[in-house]
Formats: sequence, structure tokens, C-alpha cells
Amino acid sequence: MEMSIEIRDLTKNYGKKQALSKVDLTISQGMFGLLGPNGAGKTTLMKILTTLLKKTEGEVTICGVPIEKNRQIRDMTGYLPQDFSMYGNMSVYEALDYLAVLSGMPKSERKSKVPEMLEKVNLLEKQKIKVKSMSGGMIRRLGIAQAIIHDPKVIIVDEPTAGLDPEERVRFRNLLCEIAKDRIVLLSTHIVGDIEATCENIAVLNQGKICFNGKVTELLSMVEGKVYSAEIAAMELEKVKEKYMVTGILVTGSTANIKVIADEQPFSQARQVQPDVEDAYMYLMHKENKG
Amino acid sequence: MFGTLFIKECRQVLKSLVYYIYVVIFVLFITSQMSSEDKLQEPKPGQSYYGETVIRDDALTMEGTLANLLQAVCRNSFATYPIGFYREVKLTDDEMVQVKAVLERCTGKSFEILEEEMEEYYAQSGIGDTSYRVAVKEGFTYAEFEAAMEEVCDLVGKGSFYEKESYENRIHVPMTYEQAKEEFDALCTKDRLTRAYMRLFCDYAGIVLSVLPIFIGVSRALRDKRAKVQQVIFSKSASGTQIIVSRYLANLVMISIPVFLTALLLQQPFYYRAQTMGIQGDIWAFITVPGIWLLPEIMTVLAVSFLITEFTDTIWTIFLQVAWAFTSLFSATTLVGDFGLKLVARWNTLGKTLLYSSLEKEFLFNRGYYILLAVVCVILTVFVYEKKRRGGESVHEKLRKFSN
Repeated sequence: MEMSIEIRDLTKNYGKKQALSKVDLTISQGMFGLLGPNGAGKTTLMKILTTLLKKTEGEVTICGVPIEKNRQIRDMTGYLPQDFSMYGNMSVYEALDYLAVLSGMPKSERKSKVPEMLEKVNLLEKQKIKVKSMSGGMIRRLGIAQAIIHDPKVIIVDEPTAGLDPEERVRFRNLLCEIAKDRIVLLSTHIVGDIEATCENIAVLNQGKICFNGKVTELLSMVEGKVYSAEIAAMELEKVKEKYMVTGILVTGSTANIKVIADEQPFSQARQVQPDVEDAYMYLMHKENKG
Repeated sequence: MFGTLFIKECRQVLKSLVYYIYVVIFVLFITSQMSSEDKLQEPKPGQSYYGETVIRDDALTMEGTLANLLQAVCRNSFATYPIGFYREVKLTDDEMVQVKAVLERCTGKSFEILEEEMEEYYAQSGIGDTSYRVAVKEGFTYAEFEAAMEEVCDLVGKGSFYEKESYENRIHVPMTYEQAKEEFDALCTKDRLTRAYMRLFCDYAGIVLSVLPIFIGVSRALRDKRAKVQQVIFSKSASGTQIIVSRYLANLVMISIPVFLTALLLQQPFYYRAQTMGIQGDIWAFITVPGIWLLPEIMTVLAVSFLITEFTDTIWTIFLQVAWAFTSLFSATTLVGDFGLKLVARWNTLGKTLLYSSLEKEFLFNRGYYILLAVVCVILTVFVYEKKRRGGESVHEKLRKFSN
């Protein structure tokens, strides 16, 4: 069976408001990043892929199965929603076991899989604590455990690192990379750093439309030779911001170190630097919003 | 999957504070209402009073009702119970003319003569005499009487004594020894004491069970939203039927357990009392009687609370269902029988076995209706759940968006 998500001309309307417009996307095995500002339509797309929303138009197939076949799609997907939580009075073990039952797993399978998954997400030792006493990072790890426990071909993860501290964020990214070895992991986020660290292929969604679809290196090449760094007087900051796209500012006393994106050298003391994904994303968004 | 989900849901109920509050209120209410007073005395010949019995007699019904109407017209004060609470109705002059015309048509006498006759009767009778009757005119049929009372109801409004269900159940006459003996024998042989006692238990239990399960249903239906687990559960492969039906049955079973256990405990003294009287009590009455009497009520109350809460994502159903329960309770014309399609079936007496036998069909129809209603509500809840699962919005969400 083909291991891909095929999205063709996907449109979703909420009344008169268009949340997705003619989205075309092919997502293959491995980590795939979906980047975009808040309100771009990422969560709408995730919900359509997890059968939680009906599409208005277009075609979507997951591993060859049309999205309309709810039951089959739910069997082959694992979903970690943006605000994942569980009943506070359940223990970690009970919560995972309950969700495994809802995924249709028989008792014999759950008996071995639940501890295995808890071990994988480093929660085995905490299996008896109540969900209400868990930290944000622990809850997300429980979330990923429930998403993969039934061994789905596709895992859809919506804004998984929002609100996590840096250490938890790195640990969570590593976990996602580990589970993406033999399946599709679709990671939706507005945090560029998550994508940069984990995904080779990405798509950028803005105002319901795909404005970039390709490899991270291709996104970076869009801004190659256009990123400059300079030290300027703090007083000049406002003037520079008005004239150029500033992607980084570090003010130290009366001077400011800035990072600027420009087609040509903006001023004499500016020196060209290596762009990162955030620069490329900002450049793309700036271009898109300018129309 | 269904069995495992059911057991897990039962465990969830056991962890809920609302459930323990329900158990405490139920047990306290029932134990405070169920009296251990021994009312079971075999009637002996020569007793001055054997109690009263309701009879169906067209002539007595017409005479008693017209007497009641005449007194109400004289005082222009009509007692009504539109939603169970007393409300005095006063008629306008035009309306009084119409009611007086009804009286005159039924009796063939002018209102002034009727008033005079009544005053004369009370002048001669002793204080506390309730046997005053007004005779109908020669050849006046019961059908004509029914039509006349409908006219009065149109003027007086709902919940008056002039409604058919009311006046046909109001004629009480003292029992004879033979009637009392027959009633007592039926209590011992047909009800074997225990079933009669369980009917009384069901009467009290039915009152609280028309309200308490609402809170358990609302609490369960809103738990997913409160715990923010809706999205993750929606994305699982379990069907809406498996999820909703397992939750519903688990809550139904957990609500019923204290009911049957309390019934079992309270039945014991009566079971032994029956044995001392040489009657073989029905040891299973604590299951069979509440099973038929209370289970349909619990099923309905719980199913409606599931449906409305799932549909609206709010606690609105509490207000709606409490109002429904109160209306059902207070709209009964009698505390023994008058089942109709009322949610709460009343039988506030120990015995009246023969009356129960005559009303059993009506009662079973009532309970069957509520079982069917509960099943329909559960099916609709599954439908609403699946609709929400595919991006549908609850009424609450739609209103919130509209108000924004």
C-alpha cells in the first residue's frame, strides 16, 4: 500500500469564510512540517485529515483510502490535538489504556503495548500519578503515546511544543523524529525552530493557501544572499525598521545588532550572513502579505 | 471493546463526587420517608370504619361534581391546580352567567332554587358533612354531563375538579367489611405483602429519581468538554454507538445499584412480617417491582439529560427536567394511580391491590412508553454525538458565535 497523503484541490468553507482554498499537497513517509501563522488554516487541515471536519470540496486520500471512510482513516491515523488533555482523575496508565480501548485494541495487546508506550515516552515510572498532577510536557508525552499506541501509519501532531520549556521541546522533537522512521508524521506548528530541527519537507500555509511546498533547503535558497547583519545606533532602529525587513534585534546599550533581509546590501557596514529557516519564512510571509 | 468500555465507565462513575452525593441523598430521602409503622391489620367484623374506597358510579359522580360546582359558583372561587400548585380562579360576570346556565341545564332548576336548597341542607346538617349532592334532571345522560363539564373547564382553565380524570376519581365511599376483607386477602395472596411494600417504596423513590439522575447524566456528558478530551476521543476508531451506549448503560447500572440495594434492605422486615402471618413473601419483589416501576423512569431521565446536554453542551437540561419532574408530580389528580403518561408513577399507599390490578394495563403502558422514549433519546444522542464528531457544533457554540 502506498505510504502517502494525497490532497487535491481541498477547500473548506465556514459559512462565507474560506479557511482552505484549493490546497494541493503530497506528503510522503517521514517528518513533514506544516508551517504558517495563527489562523492560516493549519488546524482546519489537520482536523479534515483526522475526520473531525468535513471538507467542502476536493479529494483527500490517506495511504490510498479516501477520507470519507471514517473508520478506516481513524484506524490508520493517530492524532495529538493542540490542547490534548485527559480526565484528571485517571492515572497515566488508566488514561492510556482507556484511549487504547477506544482505538479498538484487545486486552491482550493493551497489556503489553501500554507499558511499552509509556516506556517509549519516558512515563513508565510515572504511570500511577494522576493526569491532573502532570506537567505540560508530561501531558504532551502521554498525548504522543496515545497517538502511536495502535501503531498507525500516519501521525498528525498539532502545535505539539507550544507552552513547553526548551528542554521539553527538544526532548519532544527527538521523540517525534524517532517515531517518524517508518510512518508519516505531519507536524503542524507556527514555531519555525520545530520545523528546522526535525523536517526535511515542509509546506507553508497562509490565509488558507499553500504558498510554499518543498524541501527546507529550497526555502532557504529563496533568501540566500539576502540576509545581512549590522551594528547600528539604537536611535536609528525605527528608521531601519521602516525601510527594511528586520528579523532580529539585540540592543546593547546605545547600539543594536540587527539582522536584515534585503535584495541588495542595505548599508555599507552590513555584512552578508548565512540565512536560517526563520529568515526564509519571514521573507516568504512578507512577500505573500505584500501580495 | 463494548464490555471493556462499559467497565471503565462504571469505574469512572465510582470516582465521581456527584455519584456519591446522589447515593447519600437517595438513601437519606428513602429511609426518612419509608415508615416502619405497621398498618397491616386484618379487618374484623363489627369494626366502625374499614377505610374508604373509590368507586365509579355515574349518578354519584354527576351529583357530587355538581354539588362542588354549585358551591364554587356561590363563592365565585374555583380551585385549580394547573401545574400542580393551587390557583384560585374568579370568573367575570359574563362567565358566571355561563356557568350558572350549565348548572341549570344539568339540574333543570334555576340557580336561585339550587342555592336555596343548598342553604337549607346545610342549615339542617351537622358540621363537617361532606355528603351534599345535587341531583341531575330526569333523563340527563352522562355524555351530556361530560360535555357540560368541558364547557366549565373552558371557562375555569386547566387543572380544575371539572376535568374528567379528576371528577371520575373523586367519589370515595366507606368500605364494607366484605370489601375490606377482599382487599386484605388480595394484599396477602396477590401482592404477598412484599410487592405492596415495594410499590410504596417505588412511590417515594420515583420522586427523587425524577431529578437526581439528571445531575449524573449532565456530569458525564459534560466531562469530555471540561477535561478537553473531546477531540482526541472523536479521533479514535470506536463508534459513537459504542461510546454513548457504554456510557449510558454504565451510568444506568450505577444509578440503579443503590436503588435495588436499598429496596432489598427495606424489604427484609416486611418479608419476615409476611412469614409470621403465614404468607410466603416474594423474595424477588425488590428487583421485579422497582425494575418495572423505577427503571423506565431512570432510563428516561438519564437519556434525556444525555441528549440535551450532548446537543447543547450546557446544563440547560437541569432546569428543563426539574420543571418536567415537578409538573409530573403535581399534576396527578390522586396520589394512588392516575398514571396517564406521567413520568412519576404514584402509589402512595400500602396495598389497594385490587385497584392496582384494575390499573395495571394503564401502568404498563405508561412504563412501556418511557422505555421507548429512553431508547429513542439514546439513539438521538448517538446521532448528535456523531454529528459533533464530524465538525458539527452544539447549540451553545452556535449561540456563542452568533452573539460574537
